[in-house]
Amino acid sequence: MPNGASATRYSPVAQLLHWVIAALIVTQFALAWTADDLPLGVHKLALLARHKSFGMTVLMLAVVRLLWRWRNPPPELPAGMKPIERRLAKATHVAFYFLLFAMPLTGWMMSSAKNYSVSWFGLFTWPNLISQSDGAFIFLRGTHEVLSDALFAIAVLHILAALKHHFWNKDDVFVRMLPFTKSEKRP
Amino acid sequence: MIRRVALSVVIGFAAVAALPAAAAAASYVADPAASHLDFTGVQAGAEFKGTFRKFTAAVDFAPDALASAHFDVQIDLNSIDSKDNDRDKTIRGPDIFDVAHFPTAHYVTRSFTKTATGYTAMGALTLHGVTKDVPINFQFVAAPATAKLEGTASLKRLDFGVGQGDWKSTEWIADAVKVSFSLSLKPKP
Repeated sequence: MPNGASATRYSPVAQLLHWVIAALIVTQFALAWTADDLPLGVHKLALLARHKSFGMTVLMLAVVRLLWRWRNPPPELPAGMKPIERRLAKATHVAFYFLLFAMPLTGWMMSSAKNYSVSWFGLFTWPNLISQSDGAFIFLRGTHEVLSDALFAIAVLHILAALKHHFWNKDDVFVRMLPFTKSEKRP
Repeated sequence: MIRRVALSVVIGFAAVAALPAAAAAASYVADPAASHLDFTGVQAGAEFKGTFRKFTAAVDFAPDALASAHFDVQIDLNSIDSKDNDRDKTIRGPDIFDVAHFPTAHYVTRSFTKTATGYTAMGALTLHGVTKDVPINFQFVAAPATAKLEGTASLKRLDFGVGQGDWKSTEWIADAVKVSFSLSLKPKP
């Protein structure tokens, strides 16, 4: 298998992308929740500036990740999984990939609609996707929030499923995404 | 020979005497419907543009009469529009423009010089109760009875105390602000 991938484990690159994006998403929730409670001020601007920079980072990494996945297909699910479980796992992963793009894109459009252009860590400024519009901003903010709720729910499901695989099924579904481990628990 | 020298001297004196009469600046005012005064700030690393919806500009100018040129511009700071009500409210508030105490900004020129591409005016800007010199670079294009005046300036907001408390920090809001204007001038009534 090329690039360190095997039939039973994710490649180190896929693992790195998974955990970096996961850490960024946790940070994104923390930044957004903190900023939501603040009045418009320097502190809120600073938090949201970081939120936007991290969000655009997620968008770029999502592109890399999808390309990597296309060139390096992930390992098969354990043979013992039921069809309903396979469908649920597939649906969760499709939803994750959809949200990895939809969250940053709706955020980027929100910023454009409010005429607060998105800078990437002050290094460069992304072009506005749409022109300023109060109506579009309100709609996009609502969409961004609903999608973030969906992302939170799916992430909880994803984590519970990983733990269930590890502790209940005792298969390697969790471990094969963990760096510096070996998949030996495969039934 | 003497007659020719004398004639030249006379013509010379006549020309000099005629100069001030020829070099009077024409008086204009900006047509509000066709003029705009914009600014560009930098917030969290990204530029944002805004405009002042209400301002008046009295312009005395002629390219051959820089000595008698004069601009007087009054800007209604309440009329700021940065395409976001929350931001406009914050800028009008006590920590930034403090429009309750300083509702207008005022710019008055003192001197003019010709440059390679147009003109530079040196003048004093009074903003937020502070008066400081700010040069502006501009082009002037005269048409029959009307004229077009377009130019730019850049200033540092903190020179004028624009940004108190947390807003003094330049980490998220840059100190430098660019100003640009395009005035459609019509004869002063």
